[in-house]
Amino acid sequence: MEILRQLYDMTALGEIGETPGVLLMILIGAVLLYLGIVKKYEPLLLVPIGFGIVLANLPGGNMDVVPAEMVELPGHRYMNLFEIASEYGIMNFVYYSLIKTGFLPPIIFMGVGALTDFGPMLRNLRLAFFGAAAQIGIFGVFFGAIALGFSPKEAGSLGIIGGADGPTAIYTTILLAPHLLGPIAIAAYSYMALVPVIVPLVANRLMTKKEFLINMKKQDKLYPPKFKIKNIKAVKIIFPIVLGVVVAILVPSSVPLLGMLLFGNLIKEIGTATSRLSDAATGPIMNTATIFLGLAVGATMTAKVFLDLKTLGIIVGGFLAFAISIAGGILAVKVYNLMTKKKINPLVGATGLSAVPMASRVANELGLKHDSSNHLLQYCMASNISGVIGSAVAAGVLISILG
Amino acid sequence: MSESFDQAWVLLGVGMVTVFSVLLLVVIIGNTLIFFVNRFFSGDSSGPPADQTGKGDIHPAKVAAIVAGVKNVTGGRGNVIDIRKK
Repeated sequence: MEILRQLYDMTALGEIGETPGVLLMILIGAVLLYLGIVKKYEPLLLVPIGFGIVLANLPGGNMDVVPAEMVELPGHRYMNLFEIASEYGIMNFVYYSLIKTGFLPPIIFMGVGALTDFGPMLRNLRLAFFGAAAQIGIFGVFFGAIALGFSPKEAGSLGIIGGADGPTAIYTTILLAPHLLGPIAIAAYSYMALVPVIVPLVANRLMTKKEFLINMKKQDKLYPPKFKIKNIKAVKIIFPIVLGVVVAILVPSSVPLLGMLLFGNLIKEIGTATSRLSDAATGPIMNTATIFLGLAVGATMTAKVFLDLKTLGIIVGGFLAFAISIAGGILAVKVYNLMTKKKINPLVGATGLSAVPMASRVANELGLKHDSSNHLLQYCMASNISGVIGSAVAAGVLISILG
Repeated sequence: MSESFDQAWVLLGVGMVTVFSVLLLVVIIGNTLIFFVNRFFSGDSSGPPADQTGKGDIHPAKVAAIVAGVKNVTGGRGNVIDIRKK
């Protein structure tokens, strides 16, 4: 009998029974795993996050991330990484060395840059403005978050979900409200996965049938562009260098994200000479960063942190930020159309948030549903890519004002 | 609370003006670069390959589509040098 008791004490069964919140968190982890594996919603992120939640909430495993106060020493000093690893386990080592330092999101952005083609944006530069209009949700939802009792830093982290960019949301939250990292990362990636639902939902409510039928190719034929790009390769190579310098001067706080995005893009555009760097950035480096980011973010979501009313506020607020951003882009196109002869399909504005290329694909499908000859993809990609720049700049503004 | 709302207005104003300004700069930089490149570096050597079959039976539009497809799949690094019909 004593042996059985000792065996029971060795397992986590007793602690699981004492803390029912743990079971709920394991269930949440399982739901995320289901969404990632079966439904294929952002599987590269939701699978590590879901598994990280399960690992973190199983008692005794020492895989949960502890609050920053626990690694703080007197005199504004922190435990070193060896001490953190031996005291709180390897997941805290990963979190405090790679996430808390803000290292991984820019590394992922480098990979995103190496996968991004600025070509569609350079061919349709005026559409880049709609990437700015679609950032309104980030700042708009700030008011509601303050009214709900969030602190300004927490409200800023919540608002950034409206940028529809996972690494940006994580980076901003690490710097402004690290205790909300788990729920904000989950909300950001879940809504990004729900772009095929949210974009049509907002667009159908704000757009008329006539607007859905605006054919961009026909508009281009009626009002052709003033000049064509004769050497797109040269433009694509010079563009990230010049833009990087200008943005670094204007919004320095956005440089860790934008600088790495533009560097990634540069090594891709140079071509064969730097193809090994580009392959590394988009392959092993990005994949490794994604694994550690997902697992560590999941490990921050313990029952004590996640089962809180603020999580509910983040889920609702995140959706509103997302929807307002889409609406902002659509309304900006409507205003633009009032002033010009050459009309733009408002779906182009709806893709002004990040979420590349899913938002563009969804908008393209929506356009084709109303007119089978209305291919909007290249136009949507223009505002979609500018949305990546826009959301990184918006994050820089939040960090510099609230940080 | 009212202080936070004041901050929210500042954030909305500064944030949107900054984002619009940066994207305005993107447009200006892009247009300026295109202007200069068109003027001084207009020779694009990466044109589509000629029909290599020697029979002239591959439509230029098909060649262009294959080149575009390869460029897209390889991220601009791949180059079509020969197209043969089986």
